[in-house]
Amino acid sequence: MIILLMFVALVVLVLINVPIAVALGVTTVGAMLWSQGPDILPNLALVMFDGATKFPLIAIPLFILAGAIMNSSGISRRLIAFASALLGFIKGGLAMVNIGTSPFFAEISGSAVADVAALGSILIPAMKKKGYPTPFAAAVTSSSATLAIIIPPSIPMIIYAVMSDSSVVQLFVAGIVPGLLGGLLMMAVAYRFAVHYNYPVEEVFQLKRVWVTFKDAAWAFLLPVIILGGIFGGWVTATEGAGLAVVASLFIGGVIYRELDWRHLKQSIIEGGVQTAVVMLLVTASALIGVYLTEAQVPQDLARTISAMTDNRYVVLAMLNVFLLIVGLFLHSAAAIILVVPIVMPLVHQAGIDPVHFGIIVTLNLGIGQQTPPVASVLVTACSVAKADIWEVSKVNIYFIGVLVTMLMIVTYIPAVPMTLVDFFYR
Amino acid sequence: MRPLLILRLGFERLLEIVVIFLMVSMVVVVVLGVVYRKAGASLVWYDEIASIMLAWLTYYGAALAALKRAHIGVPGVVDSAPPRLRLCLIILSEVFVIGFFILLAWVGYEVVLVLEGDYLISLPEISTQYTQSVIPIGAVLFVIAEALSLPEVLRKTRGTASADENPGEATGT
Repeated sequence: MIILLMFVALVVLVLINVPIAVALGVTTVGAMLWSQGPDILPNLALVMFDGATKFPLIAIPLFILAGAIMNSSGISRRLIAFASALLGFIKGGLAMVNIGTSPFFAEISGSAVADVAALGSILIPAMKKKGYPTPFAAAVTSSSATLAIIIPPSIPMIIYAVMSDSSVVQLFVAGIVPGLLGGLLMMAVAYRFAVHYNYPVEEVFQLKRVWVTFKDAAWAFLLPVIILGGIFGGWVTATEGAGLAVVASLFIGGVIYRELDWRHLKQSIIEGGVQTAVVMLLVTASALIGVYLTEAQVPQDLARTISAMTDNRYVVLAMLNVFLLIVGLFLHSAAAIILVVPIVMPLVHQAGIDPVHFGIIVTLNLGIGQQTPPVASVLVTACSVAKADIWEVSKVNIYFIGVLVTMLMIVTYIPAVPMTLVDFFYR
Repeated sequence: MRPLLILRLGFERLLEIVVIFLMVSMVVVVVLGVVYRKAGASLVWYDEIASIMLAWLTYYGAALAALKRAHIGVPGVVDSAPPRLRLCLIILSEVFVIGFFILLAWVGYEVVLVLEGDYLISLPEISTQYTQSVIPIGAVLFVIAEALSLPEVLRKTRGTASADENPGEATGT
């Protein structure tokens, strides 16, 4: 009964635009007062503090910071130049460059919005100038940026790992193959467009130019080697790897390239801090309501109810996929993971689904959510960079969303695609 | 209007300085932690202190986010309501937000008082009263931030009906 009231109150509060984190807090306080009286209130302060002291989540501000430094030090420009030398000869060259640069950028920042803001602000104007239609430029940028959250390091994966008690490193490894496969499929779709609408070739392929741009960008390539090598090799934890990423990108931007834009960097640090706080307040509020839901055995009940209906793992996965896709339409990816994962985890365990495999499924689902209005953080950023109408962009983007959905199906029903590397290295 | 604007900008600068300080020192602490461990002399306090810094960043940053109205919400219903109803809903939602943080400030303060004589595990010279102080302080800052940014929200509502800005969208990961 009280759970039902809590749910109704939560929905009402969210609909009148109380921030989701605060709505969770208000609802839980109401339930606390109702069932245990005012003596329990000091717990509110204790849980709200402890819920925020999660060491693995320190990786979030650190990766955001590393991405910001990289972006204010000319590293993005060098990556684009290399991608252009490598892929620019294909028809629709700039679209290929856009898709091809995303994974490299993703290697450092771990955030799709950061990816769109950084690469989009260079590539979208360049594409427009070369005669690509604006909606196509925005759609390619937006969708390829979503690959950023599948390819390690990934902020949504870090949040998922904390909420589900699974290994960040294994999640990172599981994301590699689906991320690269997704990139290739997106290039194929972009190529179809390029042939059909006769988009231009960027430059002729010259081995010499590839080598020159590679040398110039080599330091930037060293970053993922340091970060991922350190993390995958077990030399540092994911959080420490993020710390090293900050130091390494500061060194490369400030000492080697000497292009660090301090004003821009200061602004990025503040924005990174704010983004982190927004996510963290949700984490603490969910810790608060989590205490309640767990006591009331809600996640366990859900698991029992669904397992009573079916014990087929693939049917359960299909149900979870549909549920997550719907959630992704309306919720921000970080908020969705924080709210949904603790509730469905008992079901996932009961159905015998590997939590790492499920993590990739969740990340892909919410990646699709970033592209589908009404709430579509990445698409909205891409549209505002391109100054394009969301609806016009979506008409093109639907093909790229198709690629993401295909990837989701592959990842869901062929677990070997994400899991082979994990099994090989860690099990 | 002017003094309010100056107050708002000053408050924003203050929070920005705290956020920058916390972000930078978190990097320093984490990197020191790695360097010392690899040198064979692990810092016992490093993960506890770094985690507390994250908690501090959460609340000081949350106040700054409140000032910028950047917390994740669902503004669709309120934005599409007729102007008069919209005004009522905005005020109602503000009452919940401010009420929650006033309560948090109060219980947070009570908890800080109770914690007298309690110290950190890895650094026994630091009182948990000090680390836990972020809850009441952060909650008060959040209330101030809401109050300082409310006039602009109301002005936008009263002005044109074009409230299709969505600050929550800008903070995605």
